[in-house]
Amino acid sequence: MSHDLKIFVVDTGPLITLAVAQSLDYLLYVEADVVISDAVLHEATYDAARLGAQDIIDWVKAHRTRIEIAPTKAYQVFDAARASVPNLREPDLGERSAVEVIEEPDRLTGNERGVLLCEESTVLKRVVVRDRTRIVELGTLDFLRILEQEQRIQSAELVFELAAKAGRTPSRAEKLPGHDAAIRQALSDLVRRRENDGPELER
Amino acid sequence: MTTSERQALEAYSRGDLTALELRRRLHGASYGDVLRLLSEEDLPLPRAPVAGREAQIERARAWMFPKHVP
Repeated sequence: MSHDLKIFVVDTGPLITLAVAQSLDYLLYVEADVVISDAVLHEATYDAARLGAQDIIDWVKAHRTRIEIAPTKAYQVFDAARASVPNLREPDLGERSAVEVIEEPDRLTGNERGVLLCEESTVLKRVVVRDRTRIVELGTLDFLRILEQEQRIQSAELVFELAAKAGRTPSRAEKLPGHDAAIRQALSDLVRRRENDGPELER
Repeated sequence: MTTSERQALEAYSRGDLTALELRRRLHGASYGDVLRLLSEEDLPLPRAPVAGREAQIERARAWMFPKHVP
């Protein structure tokens, strides 16, 4: 992880939209490190029946050198609370954890800059960030249109059309019943590996 | 789906409601659930208007592809 540009995935929207359109690799078409908070990854994958969950886990595992799973206090507290309330849900957990990551004092030092990749309705809300000279927000479609302008992909709209049709077809996980436990284990392994990673992932 | 839930989904599709607020109104639905419901109700995904954000998008493009931006 050594690029000056970081793409922070702020909520589950971009991951799921790209996953169901089989386009997660588009996040890697930019010379940047991709940073996903532990809570955003959890929200996107904790239920195997969720659209794109298995694809997201597979993609993260396949690209560990480009993707950082950032541990957060928000998720740590949530995870501890789940011990007594197993069905605990916090709809804004992902966003809170992502903001926690972006606001870490040693993030974006020197020439580093950040693109916050948000779900379409979030990008207009303007996520509160400390340094707007270093950070800009993009919606998923903005990101795809830039790739299209740079002739890295054929059509941003096509990705959105594929995502819009996703509800009419079963997810991979739905076709493979019983994968829920496997996905939970995979997520735990990914977070644990991040916590135990060597200096190359430290900031 | 109740009438108010359908109205919330339509408002989200138009960009008048955030995903977070929609998910609350749908009793904690995930974003994947939202995608599925939009599809079932034949509603398009919301699109954030570009107007007013041109400079920020162009800045992001220059950061993402510094050698290719004129």
